[in-house]
Amino acid sequence: MKTFDSTLSDGFQDQLGLAIAARLSESAQNLPNDISERLKAARMQAVAKRKVVKLQSASSVNAGMGTATLTGGDLGNSIWTRLGSLLPLLVLIAGLLTIAIVQEQRRVDELAAVDTELLADDLPPAAYTDPGFLHFLNTTRRE
Amino acid sequence: MERALSSRLDLSNFLAGAERRAFKQAMFAVRNEDSALDIVQDAMMRLAEKYGDREANEWPLLFQRILQNAIRDFYRRSKVRSLWTVLFSSLTPTDDDDEDPLETLATDVGSDDSTTPHRNAERMQLLGIIEKEISRLPPRQREAFLMRYWEDMDVAETAAAMGCSQGSVKTHCSRAIQALGKALSAKGIRL
Repeated sequence: MKTFDSTLSDGFQDQLGLAIAARLSESAQNLPNDISERLKAARMQAVAKRKVVKLQSASSVNAGMGTATLTGGDLGNSIWTRLGSLLPLLVLIAGLLTIAIVQEQRRVDELAAVDTELLADDLPPAAYTDPGFLHFLNTTRRE
Repeated sequence: MERALSSRLDLSNFLAGAERRAFKQAMFAVRNEDSALDIVQDAMMRLAEKYGDREANEWPLLFQRILQNAIRDFYRRSKVRSLWTVLFSSLTPTDDDDEDPLETLATDVGSDDSTTPHRNAERMQLLGIIEKEISRLPPRQREAFLMRYWEDMDVAETAAAMGCSQGSVKTHCSRAIQALGKALSAKGIRL
């Protein structure tokens, strides 16, 4: 039996705290049935959504000549496997970029060759914009 | 293949052992059965979804932290609701808008008798009185007291769950027990 004092010692406080807690436990065991059922339903719902850990496992066991090895498993989802599956895509993108660069360079070279021919010729480039000269070229080519 | 470090049965057993006390804790705090049930269910779901793969011995502390956070979330939502009520009601005085429900809750619980359902039996009356006195405690004192003595957590664990120092836990517990002792003594109750 405990009496209450305004200045309780630590030990007595612990005893009183535990005594009150024991009464609370008694009270908690006497919850109304509907509350207990709702708590049970909530618990089952929570357990159903429990987080689980995925563990790596072997997908096959190869046995022979007195030895056995584990192969495959979730290691197939490792970073190297993912990188390997991306490799063809990377090669394709690199190839397309190479083709685009080569074609652009080839077109620039062709334009440069034409420009060189024009600039190196005795005829000034402005002559090709003269309609009379173009007419002269056409008639000369037909003849 | 999937496997949890702690089995589904372990989690179910843990929750089965903790759910009643959790409900009572929530009831002490919010004094409404539906809200308390929502809080406990929310805490259970969070524990299962986020920490269901942890070792079983980590669950009590984690569950307490989650439960206390859920109760605080309830207080915050209540505060926001009451703020909107004040804003849209010219009848309500506005001088207490900044008050924290956590601080003021313990002062206005006297008229609520919903935690004493069994009035006929003397034992049930005693339990009801104890529960009511616990509800009257300031929230932080109540949290510390319940975790320390009811959940059987040590001072360090209680401090970790409450996010405060061990000294604060001791102070809260001491004040809670002093208050409970005085209140029960005033009613002529001895344990």
